[in-house]
Amino acid sequence: MRVGIVGSGFMAAVHLNAWLRTDAQVVGLISLDPPSAERLAAQANARIYPTLDALLDYVDVIDICTPTYLHHEHVLAAAAKGKHIICEKPLARTIQQGIEMIRVCRESGVKLLIAHVVRFFPEYASAKEIVERGDIGRVAVMRLTRCSFKPGGNQPNSWFHDAEKSGGMMLDLMVHDFDYARWIAGDVESVYAQSVSGKDPSAPLDYGLVTLKHRNGALSNVEGSWAYPAPLFRTALEIAGSEGLIEHPTGSSTPLEIYFHKKADAQADIAVPTSPLLEDPYTAEIRHFIQVLEHGAAPRVTAEDALAALAIGMAAIESARTGQPVTPVTNGDI
Amino acid sequence: MSADVRVGLVSFAHIHAESYLNNLLKNPNVTLVGVTDDDAARARRFAGRVGVPVFATLSELLRAGVDAVIVCTENSRHTSAVVEAAAAGVHVLCEKPLATTVQDAEHMVASCAQAGVHLMTAFPMRFSAPMLTMHQLVRDGKLGRIFGINATNQGECPHYHRSWFVDPELAGGGAMQDHIVHVADVLRWTLNSEVTEVYAQSNHILYNKEAPDVETGALVSLRFANGTFATIDCSWSKPAYYPTWGGLTIDWVGEGGFASMNAFRQKLTVYSHQNQRAALTSWGSDANQAMVDEFIASIMENRTPKVTGEDGLQAVRIVQAAYESARTGKPVAMQA
Repeated sequence: MRVGIVGSGFMAAVHLNAWLRTDAQVVGLISLDPPSAERLAAQANARIYPTLDALLDYVDVIDICTPTYLHHEHVLAAAAKGKHIICEKPLARTIQQGIEMIRVCRESGVKLLIAHVVRFFPEYASAKEIVERGDIGRVAVMRLTRCSFKPGGNQPNSWFHDAEKSGGMMLDLMVHDFDYARWIAGDVESVYAQSVSGKDPSAPLDYGLVTLKHRNGALSNVEGSWAYPAPLFRTALEIAGSEGLIEHPTGSSTPLEIYFHKKADAQADIAVPTSPLLEDPYTAEIRHFIQVLEHGAAPRVTAEDALAALAIGMAAIESARTGQPVTPVTNGDI
Repeated sequence: MSADVRVGLVSFAHIHAESYLNNLLKNPNVTLVGVTDDDAARARRFAGRVGVPVFATLSELLRAGVDAVIVCTENSRHTSAVVEAAAAGVHVLCEKPLATTVQDAEHMVASCAQAGVHLMTAFPMRFSAPMLTMHQLVRDGKLGRIFGINATNQGECPHYHRSWFVDPELAGGGAMQDHIVHVADVLRWTLNSEVTEVYAQSNHILYNKEAPDVETGALVSLRFANGTFATIDCSWSKPAYYPTWGGLTIDWVGEGGFASMNAFRQKLTVYSHQNQRAALTSWGSDANQAMVDEFIASIMENRTPKVTGEDGLQAVRIVQAAYESARTGKPVAMQA
């Protein structure tokens, strides 16, 4: 399998590392940032192409790791050339874009796999299995926390800080848990959100609390933060059911605590939650995508799932703005 | 002549009465006059252990000459007991929630004010050592402006202890009635700001056999006049075999940083052959003792207690707004 990567930022590097652990071959990449592109190309022994069109001619699969607002354009270009697509979350910047991407991929006969990687984190996947087995009965109240510092804090013009481009913290970060909540408890019928977002783009002040009411009656509390001091990154999950309870409090993903006298050299710019594992969740995700593309396995997360998570995110943004609960657009409405 | 405060305990309906009985016995300035309870056998069981007299009715207890009572009846029966005590000129410490309706709570506050007696609401979190430290941190401005707060006060369904906790008439509701007020009160106190809007969603999936008529899970969102927003998970989401009754956590996100408080983390994990499972035993400071001591001190020093009936009333208003929101599906405005 020949793979092309679009972008050379943080997630492109993470995905590249995952690809390198598989039999797939990363043949090329495109990027607007030559220094990071050269670093990644050297690592993979891959070529840097001048345009997406040029790269697409040489690959079977394109892995889109670009800022959210560009997903739409890049997915449509890949679909036009009949290439299967892996694309970073969130699916798109707007619901209309997401709908069009799904439609065009379907019409072009290409697969569209969205990298909702939380479904591949073993603690989250394991909790899903426990719920599916019926061990805790009906899901009643779920709590999901994903709190860190603002990405790109060292870059004054980072696209993360531009809500037009990234959708802000609720679309970029909380969408992970919106997808997970829906995976566990099903479709969402109402979203209520409160949030604060800093006017100063580099100020660490994005924080949101969202209540989801699922169609089956379950409730989810989703907490997201780009307001922590770096390098804090805390995740937590708790699922209370009619027959039991799963707890995974913050800190329990870190079996190691290591402190040095020396201060860390550089402040982290972007973080992902990490836990020592023999295979990291990103590699597990890429391996799963290879199974889907080469062997027709059912995807763990569909493009329609990603659209539903996006719709919850858009509803949360709307609710935070208006102060009223909002019904998210669902796949049934489309 | 004795400077002691003569105190009576009214009802063991609420499980906290057992701890207050011990707290009263430990306070050197208290003379425990006696207890009364609708359930005489229950009263004899608890009072008998410590050799305290049992009175058949509240009026008999009041006639025995008390300066103060602690009221631990079922939630909806607080009002009649408090009003009767106030009419007798007796100070009251009343278990939370102060009442199950705003009208009842207002009536209690007015009756005590008219009689010139203290009405203190039993909010022991105001006396929790981790909470006091947290309160000071916020009040000193160490976190700057507080933007958002994510809090939990979860527990097991208390029907295992007393069946009235799941009776809509006696308890006034379920998990929301039981577990909103502690966090709501400390947030008002620490933010020094009142709630202006409440949004709540509740459901009935947990313990739905044990508690057939009341909500058992709920997420309650508050907005304060100063702009801070908060969510309280007040669900009975801990199973009956959980290693402890539940807990209370408050995470604070502010301009100056982030603080996470787990008020009941000071615990030992104990494994015993007899229990065959892990149990958590608290070694933290006793907030109930500090609360009862404050009640007694406020009487001796003839000053307003640190927690008042107004505080209890405000919490009742928040709970009632949450019920209205859960019923209508809409945010409910409150007067700040």
